[in-house]
Amino acid sequence: MFCSKKKSLEVERIVKANDREHNEKFQYADNCIHTSKYNILTFLPINLFEQFQRVANAYFLFLLILQLIPEISSLTWFTTMVPLVLVITMTAVKDATDDYFRHKSDNQVNNRLSEVLIDSKLQNEKWMNVKVGDIVKLENNQFVAADLLLLSSSEPHGLCYIETAELDGETNLKVRHALSVTSELGADISRLAKFDGTVVCEAPNNKLDKFTGVLSWKDSKHSLNNEKIILRGCILRNTSWCFGMVIFAGPDTKLMQNSGKTKFKRTSIDRLMNTLVLWIFGFLVCMGVILAIGNSIWENQVGDKFRTFLFWNEGEKNSVFSGFLTFWSYIIILNTVVPISLYVSMEVIRLGHSYFINWDRKMYYPEKATPAEARTTTLNEELGQIEYIFSDKTGTLTENIMTFKKCSINGKIYGEADDGMGQKTDMTKKNEPVDFAVNPQADRTCQFSDHRLMESIKLGDSKVYEFLRVLALCHTVMSEENSAGQLIYQVQSPDEGALVTAARNLGFIFKSRTSETITIEELGTLVTYQLLAFLDFNNIRKRMSVIVRNPEGQIKLYSKGADTILFEKLHPSNEDLLTLTTDHLSEFAGEGLRTLAIAYRDLDDKYFKEWHKMLEDANTLIDERDERVAGLYEEIERDLMLLGATAVEDKLQEGVIETVTNLSLANIKIWVLTGDKQETAINIGYACNMLTDDMNDVFIISGNTAVEVREELRKAKENLFEQNRSFSNGHVVFEKQQLELDSVVEETITGDYALIINGHSLTVYDQWFITLFNIVYTSLPVLAMGIFDQDVDDQNSMDYPQLYEPGQLNLLFNKRKFFICMAHGIYTSLALFFIPYGAFYNVAGDDGQHVADYQSFAVTMATSLVIVVSVQIALDTSYWTVINHVFIWGSVATYFSILFTMHSNGIFGIFPNQFPFVGNARHSLAQKCIWLVILLTTVASVMPVVAFRFLKVDLCPALSDQIRRRQKAQKKAKPSRSRRPQTRRSSSRRSGYAFAHQEGYGELITSGKNMRAKNPPPTPGLEKTLYNSTSWIENLCKKTTDTVSSFSLDKTVKL
Amino acid sequence: MTKMKKASQICQSKLPDNTALKQQQLPAYRLQLSATGVLSGFFATGAFCLGVGIILILSAKSIKEIEIKYTKICANCAELREDAINFDKECTCSIPFYLSETMQGNVYLYYKLYGFYQNLYRYILSRSNSQLVGTDLKDVGNCAPFSKSHNGTPIAPCGAIANSIFNDTIILSYNLNSSIHMEVPMLRSGITWWTDKYVKFRNPTAINLSSAFTGTAKPPFWSKSVYELDLEDTENNGFLNDDFIVWMRTAAFPTFKKLYRRLNRVQYFIEGLPAGNYSFNITYNFPVTRFKGEKSVVLSTLTWSGGSSLFLGLAYTVTGAVTWLAAFSMMAIHLMLKEKRTLFIER
Repeated sequence: MFCSKKKSLEVERIVKANDREHNEKFQYADNCIHTSKYNILTFLPINLFEQFQRVANAYFLFLLILQLIPEISSLTWFTTMVPLVLVITMTAVKDATDDYFRHKSDNQVNNRLSEVLIDSKLQNEKWMNVKVGDIVKLENNQFVAADLLLLSSSEPHGLCYIETAELDGETNLKVRHALSVTSELGADISRLAKFDGTVVCEAPNNKLDKFTGVLSWKDSKHSLNNEKIILRGCILRNTSWCFGMVIFAGPDTKLMQNSGKTKFKRTSIDRLMNTLVLWIFGFLVCMGVILAIGNSIWENQVGDKFRTFLFWNEGEKNSVFSGFLTFWSYIIILNTVVPISLYVSMEVIRLGHSYFINWDRKMYYPEKATPAEARTTTLNEELGQIEYIFSDKTGTLTENIMTFKKCSINGKIYGEADDGMGQKTDMTKKNEPVDFAVNPQADRTCQFSDHRLMESIKLGDSKVYEFLRVLALCHTVMSEENSAGQLIYQVQSPDEGALVTAARNLGFIFKSRTSETITIEELGTLVTYQLLAFLDFNNIRKRMSVIVRNPEGQIKLYSKGADTILFEKLHPSNEDLLTLTTDHLSEFAGEGLRTLAIAYRDLDDKYFKEWHKMLEDANTLIDERDERVAGLYEEIERDLMLLGATAVEDKLQEGVIETVTNLSLANIKIWVLTGDKQETAINIGYACNMLTDDMNDVFIISGNTAVEVREELRKAKENLFEQNRSFSNGHVVFEKQQLELDSVVEETITGDYALIINGHSLTVYDQWFITLFNIVYTSLPVLAMGIFDQDVDDQNSMDYPQLYEPGQLNLLFNKRKFFICMAHGIYTSLALFFIPYGAFYNVAGDDGQHVADYQSFAVTMATSLVIVVSVQIALDTSYWTVINHVFIWGSVATYFSILFTMHSNGIFGIFPNQFPFVGNARHSLAQKCIWLVILLTTVASVMPVVAFRFLKVDLCPALSDQIRRRQKAQKKAKPSRSRRPQTRRSSSRRSGYAFAHQEGYGELITSGKNMRAKNPPPTPGLEKTLYNSTSWIENLCKKTTDTVSSFSLDKTVKL
Repeated sequence: MTKMKKASQICQSKLPDNTALKQQQLPAYRLQLSATGVLSGFFATGAFCLGVGIILILSAKSIKEIEIKYTKICANCAELREDAINFDKECTCSIPFYLSETMQGNVYLYYKLYGFYQNLYRYILSRSNSQLVGTDLKDVGNCAPFSKSHNGTPIAPCGAIANSIFNDTIILSYNLNSSIHMEVPMLRSGITWWTDKYVKFRNPTAINLSSAFTGTAKPPFWSKSVYELDLEDTENNGFLNDDFIVWMRTAAFPTFKKLYRRLNRVQYFIEGLPAGNYSFNITYNFPVTRFKGEKSVVLSTLTWSGGSSLFLGLAYTVTGAVTWLAAFSMMAIHLMLKEKRTLFIER
């Protein structure tokens, strides 16, 4: 399956509908996508090219080339070749599998079917065969196949709703509307087939929110903007069908244009390692230079005279040239000082950790059956070093499911019970919820109630009626009936949905609306209100009002909005009620509820007419239209009569409070970038302990432009010294990250250490030993430790979030630590060299034969090294699992078995030149003095480390040490968990205008655009109705692709 | 109903397996550096090291060893050998010495070289194992520059190591009295590793050795062919010559001693070397003055740990002492901080 590629640079795109021949001239890309990098033929060259761009591999290659020069070569080629081939093969296999899955997913996407209008017929066609200019039919809940120009839809006025979660992560529905000329085409296939408009538009680009173009059809031109375009990756929602014309296909779509090459993310450990590797490389060069100079001097002083034993010709080489060659030889010999294989070990360990994350049952979210998923393996250890968590939405913290909890009507609180003792308790806890069975249209999902409110309704309290009327009338909800005759609400904001549903449950049922009327059912009677004006919501007004004429002919303004705003607009006579309601609001807000104030105003007929005329005039203005309209709104929304307030609960997601508390204890700063109202945001901040009352300086950065924001941030920074915590949320739960971090770090250190030792003394080693040392002898225990080590168990790490801090401060692996390790490594290598040197000097074996031959010396040192390293790793492993045992003992055992194999007669008989160590292990390791040397070397290298560690734990114990100590003590005692009791703030009112709401819906309503042409008249006595909040829940569920979710673990994980 | 079931099954399948491995709950032992553990470990290690050290020192002291450097004693021979032209002129040198104490038990005779870099990288590589194992005499792979003679025939044994073989003859004679001088009986067997003698070095198979080595040249520094190394013992010739094998096992340091002969404990020497007057009769062939080296002969006995030097014993003693010192100071610090630490934990 090959996709054609477009070569020439496109300046503008000309597409003619239903005319493939015409469009083919331009060679636009078709709708086939390929995200895969290779095919069978290109895999090898491209992959190898990519791999050798990596420093490590290039370094290996460079060494390999050096080793092929016989004058320089100090190690045989396989010492470099074997690891290089191993690494390259492993990476290649991984890349190949990745690419195979990409091919598979490409295939799957390309073979999806969609209905395309071909030859005047709707035919099922694979996505990859969809061409620019085709007309495509989409059905509800389908993915959009390409970037389409919306032509017509099932909804009135060619509206359609799309969800753009895949593109921008936003879960609220967006409206797109077709041009009126095209929306007339409807679902008429023959007319659509004859549609031959030409679109001239911008060239493909990656701007998701911008589109400019012109549609020329039937001798007239219509300008096109982003509102008329449905992008690939969107999902059609709440629209049973729509037709669109393909403008951009495949790689030209905005989605694909945005999915550029994934940048390789580096962790701070990577960066640190890169620096350190460079330093080590510098160190290596220095060593090379020093040794080369030493070699020149030696050659000059001694070697010259000694040369007769080596060369026929005296003075064949001068000492400087010899030094130069020696330099390169040492570069090769000491190459393992540069811990290149560390990168590989790191990869393996990260992979192991990501599996542990995926496997963790404690990070499994049963309600959505989602285990945690580590999508990238490169960033795991960074989880242990998080300092800031940025979140883009308040909604991430909350469930985004609003429930109407309480209200205050005319100074009386409903929604909680007074038990007579003066203590108010939550209604839902003690009493049965009000039985809505009397109301056949009640929505069962709504939990509210208070019997007293029902009483009041029965008693006919006019204020209560008015209050509920506001809820039922003043909103932008659309109603429709589904096939079962149930009433379904389409809501823009879940808050509104909650309010309208509450009114519905209390007997004030919003039935339907047209652009001029709103029909509600008031306690069983249908009442139709005339909608005279719709004063839409916007961010500045923070309120919304409707002006209606009731059947009695009275004109009323119903308003709801943020208390802070609305209270300023009240009639002075409300003062008493205002104080009472304010108290109630504080109470609500104290419980973390989102509040809204509700008010009304009776309008004089004459006054309204005048105002309305002024409004119409203002609307015709071109300049300053918005200001004038706003002024008029301001003008009429005054002298309001307060009715009360509502309190909607947007429940925090499970565990959010604990998570946030833990995060702040772990010294992780949380920032939220939110489009929410400041009050709501602050409210939620308080609700989830992100903000606490004892914080003196809470800065909420709000600004509308980038410049403003920057300015505010700067100010905030100046003002904040200690608590530079703006606020908000995070659902990233770190459960075992500390553990992982620690282990990775320790691994790194040990790895370095092993390599340093190795590098320092390896001239004397067997070549095979060098080849295998990293791969077999010591890498597995290191890997096992890196993967399985836990310094503190998971329970304790959750109980002591402070454990997190060392990671943030980079205490576990930093340059200082690195130099300590270096020093340790150098000390160990000196011990490893000089103890055998001293012991072997002038010594004979117990059979009188020499032991100080080069091969025995090599075997002794190698054995000492393996044992020292194993003991070292054993000491570093604080958590001994079976696997650690197997790997550590196993690697020692492997070492000896390989040693004996390679020194065996059989293998020498086959390859005498490759295995010259025949019989060595047998003879050397039978010598008592060699074992004494090995023992002494081990003691001398390990003891200082143990002493150092003991003193460190003793003198300045780290938190993890203390916890470990306590953990041990706890083992005997019964394990008990104490939870910090939760303190909720009680005072300080924070109320929020709780609309997650967009401006502009009022206009849609009054223009009647989003109404169905034939809206069925409300039928009384409908059976059960359903509140259509399901789409919201659905959307929430669909929100799987979080843009920042490289470690998007589960949303709510129990702590 | 079935749908529900299916859904729950899917949930089930997504739930990670509850295995100890996957949940990181593998039974594990936590290694803890407890104060008592560490301190007692230190004390024990210290005691052990001190003990071993003292034993080693004592046994090293019990070793009897005589070393005689003969480069200067045989200065005339050394001078002669400085010029390669004189290679065929024989030069002998007798070194009398007095053994004041009997050397009990097995006595070993070593030659020792100072400043001979047998551990030079290129030197070590300059050999052909496949030639030495007798399979392919023409394989002179790594032997350059001693791989072929002037006329192109392969050198056997090839390489720098073989070429530079130590070729002095050392004979120890015992002067029972002024008139009776007897040669001390020496064994030349048992001075090589079994694997060297029987695996690593093999002669090419042929009717006799000289025909086996036809088509090869002797190393340039050698005066005799490889199959004429030992005229007394025909088995001790070719690549299987013990002295040759010993030389081919290259030393790790520029100063090294190699086993030359073992005392054959017969007649007078059944107990070892009795005290008395001895002399070394050395045929001086190996030049060392050219590289400012020295040669010596060593007579030595052994103990249980071999011919150990003082170093290992001293190193053990020092390590033990330092460990104890560390243990004491650690204990002091620990006790001093104990109060403080308990407070810390309580807090």
